[in-house]
Parts: sequence; C-alpha cells; structure tokens
Amino acid sequence: MMLQYFKDLESGIATKIKENPDSPNARKKYALEVARLGARLYSGENSVAWCGITAPFDLLSAMGVTSCFVEFVGAMLASTGTIGTFLDHAEHSGYASDICGYHRSVLGSAKQGLMPVPDFLIATSCPCTGGLAVMENLAGMFKKDLFVLHIPQDESGKSIKYLADQIRQMTGFVSAHTGSKIDEEAFRSAIENTNSARELMKEVFELATHVPSPTNGHDLSNFGIVMALLLGTEAAIEISKAYRDEFAARNREMKPGMPGEKHRLMWIQNRIQFRNPLDALLREQYKANIVVDELNSITWEPVDPDDPYTGLARRAISIPFNGNIRRRVNHLQKLALYYRIDGAINPCHRGCRQGAGARGLINEGLKEIGIPVLNLEVDVVDPRDFAEGQLSTRIEAFIEMLEARA
Amino acid sequence: MSDMKGYIGFACAYTPLPIIYAAGYTPYRVLPMGDSPDQAGHILHDNLCPHIKRILDRAMGNDLPDLAGIVFMNSCDAMRRLADAWHHIRPDEYSIFLDLPATADELSISFFTGEISKLAVALSKWRGRNISATEIEYGILLYNQIADFMNELTEKIYKGKANIHRAVLQELFNRSVTGSPITFIEDARKILSENRPNKTVNEGVPVFLFGHLLPDPEAFMLFESCGAKIILDDLCTGSRFFYPVAADGKKGLVKSLAESLLLRPPCARTIDSTMPGKIGKILISKARESGARGAIAHVVKFCDPYLSRLPSIREEFRKAGIPLLVLEGDCTLRSIGQQQTRIEAFIEMLRQ
Ligand code: SF4
Ligand code: SF4
Repeated sequence: MMLQYFKDLESGIATKIKENPDSPNARKKYALEVARLGARLYSGENSVAWCGITAPFDLLSAMGVTSCFVEFVGAMLASTGTIGTFLDHAEHSGYASDICGYHRSVLGSAKQGLMPVPDFLIATSCPCTGGLAVMENLAGMFKKDLFVLHIPQDESGKSIKYLADQIRQMTGFVSAHTGSKIDEEAFRSAIENTNSARELMKEVFELATHVPSPTNGHDLSNFGIVMALLLGTEAAIEISKAYRDEFAARNREMKPGMPGEKHRLMWIQNRIQFRNPLDALLREQYKANIVVDELNSITWEPVDPDDPYTGLARRAISIPFNGNIRRRVNHLQKLALYYRIDGAINPCHRGCRQGAGARGLINEGLKEIGIPVLNLEVDVVDPRDFAEGQLSTRIEAFIEMLEARA
Repeated sequence: MSDMKGYIGFACAYTPLPIIYAAGYTPYRVLPMGDSPDQAGHILHDNLCPHIKRILDRAMGNDLPDLAGIVFMNSCDAMRRLADAWHHIRPDEYSIFLDLPATADELSISFFTGEISKLAVALSKWRGRNISATEIEYGILLYNQIADFMNELTEKIYKGKANIHRAVLQELFNRSVTGSPITFIEDARKILSENRPNKTVNEGVPVFLFGHLLPDPEAFMLFESCGAKIILDDLCTGSRFFYPVAADGKKGLVKSLAESLLLRPPCARTIDSTMPGKIGKILISKARESGARGAIAHVVKFCDPYLSRLPSIREEFRKAGIPLLVLEGDCTLRSIGQQQTRIEAFIEMLRQ
C-alpha cells in the first residue's frame, strides 16, 4: 500500500516538474525527494534502518543505509488520511490512547505488518522518552538489533565526547550489519554535502524573515525536520538551492508568498499533519502567515570533515527540544524577534510530554518579549476527534486579539 | 544519636544518595503524596504523569520541609519538565539536573560517573566545603546498610517470617528516604532484632505487585482487604530502590556508584539494547520465583516509559500463563480505591 502510494506520488510530482520546469518548484522538489525516500524505505530492495529523530542520517547514508525516523511514517499516514485504522489497531493492542500519536500509529502499522522490516534500529534518547520506548518495542517486534544513542542534555565537552564516541561505536554496529566498513571518502563527501546544504538552508531561513515573507505559510512546513533525513545527499543541496532562488526572486520582485500578509505567526513544534481547514482559515480568511516553524533554523555549526563525529554530536545535542526549557525559550525568543512575528501557535500535541509539558513555560517565555501564544489542544496526527469548530473559534479570537493590539 | 542536616530533595530512584549524604545533607525524597491543591497542570500540562504533578503541587503548596536544594535525574521527559517547572517556581533554590543514560554500557557508565562527580562539585559549592573520599565511602556504607536492612526485612515479610504488615514496610521505606539515615538504621536494628513470629495468618491469595511507585502505606491495606497477599514487589518505592553498591577502591568510589545505579534491576525507562523488552522477562521471572498466583501492575497514568511497554509486558504474562491485572492510577489511594471491585474480582478469580 505505502510503496504504491510513494511510487505514484513520485511519478506524479516528477511529471508536474517536467511539464513546468520554469515555474516555482522548490516545494515540489522537496516532496519528490520525500516520495523517493518513502519508496526506498518500502521497496524491500535497500538496507533499511529505523531510527530516532536525532540519528546522524548523513553518516548512515554514507554507509549505504536508507534510514529514517519512525515518526515520518506517522506523518505520512496522517497526510494520506489512513492513520485512523493504525491508531485504532494500536489502541486495541493495548497501547494507551494518550501516548504520542506518531508512536501509536507506527506501532499499529508495525503490528499490522505494514512497516518495512528494517535491518537494524537506532534509537535516540532525544527528543523524547516515548521515541526511545517505541524503538525498543519495534526492535522486539521485528526481532532486529537495536543500538541506542543517548543524546546528552548539554553541550559540555564531556557530553559532546560521550556522544561522539557513541556515534563512532554506532558506525561499528552498522558495519557489522551491512558487512562493509565505512568508506571514509564517501563519509567526507556526505559531510561536505551536509555543510553545503546547511549554508543554503541558512540563506533560505534568512530570506524567509523578509517582511512580507516569501513563504506562504505552507512552503516550509515540516521542512527543517525532514531535511535532516536528506542531509549528506546532493538532493538536499538541490532542494535548498531551489528554495533559496525562489525566495530570493520573490523578495526581489516583491511577490510575497502570501499577498496581503497581515499577521506573522510562529508555529511551535509540529504542524498538524492531516488535512484540516485551519490552514486555509489562517491563510485565506485572516491573512495570517506562518512565517517560521520552531525547527526551521540552523542550530549547529558546520561539521568539520576532519573531525566529523564531534560535529555530528554537537548537531544532535543542539536541537531546541534538548536540554532545559530556558534553552528552548531563548531559541523561540530569538526566532520571534528575528522574524518579527505577532504571535505564536502551539498545538500542544496531545501525548507529547516533552513538548506539551513545556506549554506553560513557553507561554511565559514568549510573554517576556510581548508575544502572545495560542495554545491549541490537538493531536497533530490523529484526525479522529479533531474539534474543528472549537479550534476555529479559538483561532478567530486569537486573531481578533492580535488585531486589537496592532 | 541524630545526624539531622539540611535536606536535599530528590525525586527519582536513580539519585546517588551517598553523595548527598557525604556532602553533609540528608536526602529527602519528595514523594507524590499529600493533599496539596492541583496546580501543576497550569505550569506543565494536565497530560503529564501524576507523579510529577503531585511533586510540583507539593512544592507550590509549600507542603515540604525546607530544602537546601534539589537533585533531578533525567529519567524521562516528565522529569525534565518537572526540573524546569521547579526552577520556575523556586528560582532562588539550588537545583541540579543530572543526565541519566538509558543504557548501562561502558561509555554510559563512564559518562554517568562524570555526572555524579558534577553533583559532588555542586553540593560542595552549596555546602561551602569539599567532599572527601572518606565521606563518600562512609555514605556508600551507610546506604548499603539501609539496603541490607530493607532487603532483609522485605524478605522476612514476604516469606511470612516477620509479623509485620506490608503497610508498615512501606512506612519504613518512606522514612528511609525522607529522614536521617543514622536514626533510621538505629530504629531498623531494633525492629530486626525483635523476634516477631508470624502470629496472624494471612489467608490472602499470593500476588506479585509491580509498577513504578506506590508510596501510600494504606494502598497495601486495601490490597489485603480485597483478599490479596502481596508476596513480592517490583516498585521503585519498594524492593527495586535499595541495591548495595559494590564499592571498589581500585575502580573508584564514584564509578562504583555509577555502575551499581545503572546496573540495578531496570525500571521501564532503562533499556538493555541486547534484549529489547527485558523488563517483561525480569517481571515474569520474579513472578515465578515468588510463587504468586497472579500479578497486579500499578501503572501511573501518562507515564510513557511504562505505558509504551505495557503491551509487551502483558504479552509476556499471557505467554507465561500468569494472570495479570493492570491498574492505572494517579498515585493516590482514591484512584486505587475506585478499582476495588476489579481487584476483588481478580483475587476471586485467582482463588478458584
Ligand atoms: S511529538 Fe513529542 S512525543 Fe511525539 S515524537 Fe515528537 S517529541 Fe516525541
Ligand atoms: S518514569 Fe513515569 S512515573 Fe516516573 S516520572 Fe517518568 S513518566 Fe512519571
């Protein structure tokens, strides 16, 4: 089912790009690579590793492994509108309905035999305990070996060394499963690709700060988190270049992503992954543009190709969900000021203890710089009890409040 | 003799208590008990485990002794958020957050050794004097004694060799983590030396109890009133808490401490990557060894580590043919009380 879906998606997008090669196509190129990744994962032809969110995907790709964080599956199932049956299945199998929906859907899908069986798994302790638990469960279900990367909470030298040493060990673990040692040249070139993509992504994010923004609120949704999966590849560079050129042209030609942009918003943590009317409501009715997502930023320095493990460790530790809340709030405050936002929306994804658990302190933190936050209570992958009316009313009230402040 | 010193709060069974003691403080476990009003959900979120929310409620409701500081462990997301919230409501109080690897391999032990050393440095600063190796060794010996005592008493109670109710054991446990260890050991010696033949015969059905935490002594009375006789537990406020440290001078005391904490019987958050789902297997072997006719799991609501592993734990019990009753609670006696009928029915079923 999923293989066919990704294949159809891939050929559909490829055709569209071919038909109109000169029209803006950055998002299409991005979607094409997502479809290709999906097809590789589900084709049964590649060495596959299911991973945690902060695994070093560029290193794994240099080692010839198609790797992906499992939450990707949850997001895909949500976007295709098929997630309900997998969530139901997980819940009937005994998984509590209040654990993260991404994880529930992945467990449901694996239980139904619809997740590709990996060659091995790599769990990461960041961003969440739930993620670690789901990987342990999957390793048990698939009867495949598991490697655990503990991502320390701070960026001290000791922590970076600990993680770098673990990543080095992980390389040995991967070699033992693929049967081939790491090719140092391929690794170096992957790191160089990562650094090039990083520079371009930085430019993209900088361009997006323009008032009015070249993004339309949708162009960069899920971008930062999904691009992590493509790092190390030429595709990541190509996509970032396409975005950079498109955004630069929009700014230059004064053709903003959302004509008439009225309110600039920041989206905290995950977007709602299933089709829902809130996007259109924000965009069309209120001209409220999501100009920045929390994870659309570069929090790490270029990785030194002569000391890649240290750089990869620093990168994993640097994500805003890691460490204490002050660190995350500082990050959000910086983005808020940089993008000159008027307000922020926090979906408070039900089941996410690390994220929703920070709700009150994020509120306080953004209040410090005068940014109001709308806390929605929603499961971003579970459409089954999506309270459309209630959420629309809350958004309306929030926008009215922003208008009154203007 | 009393050795009462300033309290240092802690909230997780992985906290290195001997270091706190060595620094001249009394470790005080902030147990999720008491009647403080529910307020934590506003700062955190209502969907966080009641263990964490209760602890924060106690801090917000000033239902705690004066603390000179508090130590948090990175045991799960909820604990991380608790550490943040604590700092928010008590910004002037000393607090420290120690990272806690989920695995116990060589790299992790060495990293965790560093984390414990970090705690020693912080405590020395708070206290205004350095901690010596002798003090650490003394702290380890002291807590080893408490572990030995609790383990001996637990075994006696569970084997029916002491006429002490399980609820009393819980009271002792709570005292051992909230008061002076020296006073506790003195009292404990007395209790152990008393010859208490088992006069009251508990006719209850033998049951193995497991989960994360169940500190309320009355909960054990309730189980008994439902016809259960708890003959072994695997709780972090019970037999999983106290494990003696093999203090190895050559290895280094702090490393020995780190190793023994990471290698103790795992709770749901701890992973053995060579054996996914190990916790289920451990629980089965404990249930079997105990001779229980069935098992009761007491799981705290919204606890990701436990809830995510529960289906595979259930499956292990199903395969082993050991009946299992799962109670989802919020750390209060009330929530267990509400499930009294289910407990009674389960015990009745085991009796047949
Ligand atoms: S939403 Fe939260 S709990 Fe779910 S995968 Fe992301 S960080 Fe983990
Ligand atoms: S392990 Fe479970 S009960 Fe303990 S603090 Fe974490 S979420 Fe709460």
